[in-house]
Amino acid sequence: MDADTVASGMTYGSGGARTSVAIVDDHPVVLEGVRSWLAADPRLEVVATGDNVDAVLTVGPADVILLDLRLHGRMAIDKVSELSAAGQRVVVYSEHHEPSTILAVLDAGAVAFLAKHEGRDHCVETVLAAAADRPYVPPSLAGAMVGDRRSSRPALSDKEREALLLWFQSMSKASVAKRMQISEHTVKQYVDRARIKYARAGRPAATKSALLARAIEDGLIRPEEIGTYRSYASPDRPLP
Amino acid sequence: MSAERLRVAGAAVVSNVDRGGRMAAVFIAFGWHIGVNVPGLVGGWDDYRVPWAALAGWVLFSLVGVLATARLFYGFAVPVVPLLAVLLIVDVLVIAVVPDGGFFNAYNWAWGTIGWFAILLLYDRGVAALVAVLAANAAFGLIGVVAANTGSGAVDLSRFVMYVYGTGVLPIALVAAMGVLRDTARSAAANEAARAALESERLGAAHAQRERQHRLGIVSEAGGALLHDLATGRADPADPDVQRACALAAAQLRRLIAESDDVPDPLLHELRACVDVAERQGVPVDLIAVGELPVLDVAIRRRLAEPLAATLATARDWARVTVVAQPDEVVVSLTTPATAGPAKESHSWPMDGVVDYWYERDEELVWTQTRWRAA
Repeated sequence: MDADTVASGMTYGSGGARTSVAIVDDHPVVLEGVRSWLAADPRLEVVATGDNVDAVLTVGPADVILLDLRLHGRMAIDKVSELSAAGQRVVVYSEHHEPSTILAVLDAGAVAFLAKHEGRDHCVETVLAAAADRPYVPPSLAGAMVGDRRSSRPALSDKEREALLLWFQSMSKASVAKRMQISEHTVKQYVDRARIKYARAGRPAATKSALLARAIEDGLIRPEEIGTYRSYASPDRPLP
Repeated sequence: MSAERLRVAGAAVVSNVDRGGRMAAVFIAFGWHIGVNVPGLVGGWDDYRVPWAALAGWVLFSLVGVLATARLFYGFAVPVVPLLAVLLIVDVLVIAVVPDGGFFNAYNWAWGTIGWFAILLLYDRGVAALVAVLAANAAFGLIGVVAANTGSGAVDLSRFVMYVYGTGVLPIALVAAMGVLRDTARSAAANEAARAALESERLGAAHAQRERQHRLGIVSEAGGALLHDLATGRADPADPDVQRACALAAAQLRRLIAESDDVPDPLLHELRACVDVAERQGVPVDLIAVGELPVLDVAIRRRLAEPLAATLATARDWARVTVVAQPDEVVVSLTTPATAGPAKESHSWPMDGVVDYWYERDEELVWTQTRWRAA
């Protein structure tokens, strides 16, 4: 299937405030399904779809590319690196949700990872967060982070680990908040802080820098916390 | 494996016993050679026909003795037959240089000592070879006595027989006794090894039996009463509580069966068995495992899986089972809509401080978790 312009003939929202999304998948059914998920949300606009990254990008720039990790029988992790290095926000979604694959995708600079079974709400939220350079951690990603045993893994605080673990287990922030006896907002902060620590690890990428910059802007982490690994282990109390 | 270890241990017992016999043989031979033969040699120095020949013979005996000792204790390969020949030649030589009338005293030292040195060479080669050497020695002695022809033939012959008997019987007795002792030790060690093997087999069987009975106990507890009630009509299969109890018993049975399977990740295997039962009842279950499971004892696995399996058996809508494993920590959890599990709001209790268990239920979800931490 060649890339086709979906946006043509669509009316743009006020001042182009809508987030443009391109979807790359080699299964037409999945492509249609995901497009209908995203198109149903007024904040999103699907500008291109196709089974080939380059063909889709020639249609025009998109804020976020939703990329199926396995295209025509091969894993497109190198494509993720290439796009991320160029500053393109990539959200990888895949039926391959082994922790090692997920962590490799994060290392390559993907803004987020989504397991295909995680459903519409996670998908929409992930794309919106990605467009704003904000972290979004679906449960499968939380599981990969909490089970990470690589020596290069960032140092997470106990609270961050516990929040990730409970979020992975229950998929309900309300439930995590109740068990940790903290607010849902604080749960999200713990989880997002853990994700931001991963943006520091591995190869640098423009998308990782954007995540870090936005995290500092949002007050999720302090600039000095980005300096060294040691500072990651410092106060584990989330910032106000 | 353990039978092999026992066999080796048995061989060690035998070699220990044997070592005592070898030491006795060496002490007797050298004790005699120094304590009796040296004074004989010195006393007869002026009388020997060729004193140097007698001295050379003594030195050769000593050399043969040292070589034989090295063989006995350190397994040195020495040529046994040539060394026996050396002993016999020295024997003949000394008989030849002994002065007249000195045959039956300490001057003729080699003739009385050869038995003890032959033992050193023939220690583990049976009595027959030793008897042959002693017979040759007796023959040489007889020739010597006849050749000396002292004129008191009958008396000499009687003394000759007495000496042959005296010098021959003791070495033969020592070799025969050590042979018997070796055999006794060998059979005692073999008996002990067989007894120990039997005992460990018995213990293993008893352990397996206890395990089986323990599992059978759990199974009977789980399903026995329920089956009885169903059979007697006391329990109604249409009653949701009965159905729940049946599901629980089925899950327990599946898990107990899975427990004795030999698989790489037994905990996951056992959890899959529980998930399987739930799925057969039409409940979609996600089982997601992260990390590499450490080796866990069956009792710990039971504590990790059992509480979750009980709740899972009553799940209706969907369920999510997660396992997060690290070398020193394993966390298993189950999340399912609040229609399952006991209604009690929340409780948690440590199980022997090895595995902790939490159960929580709010309006929406039931959440249970078991957590093992390495001591």
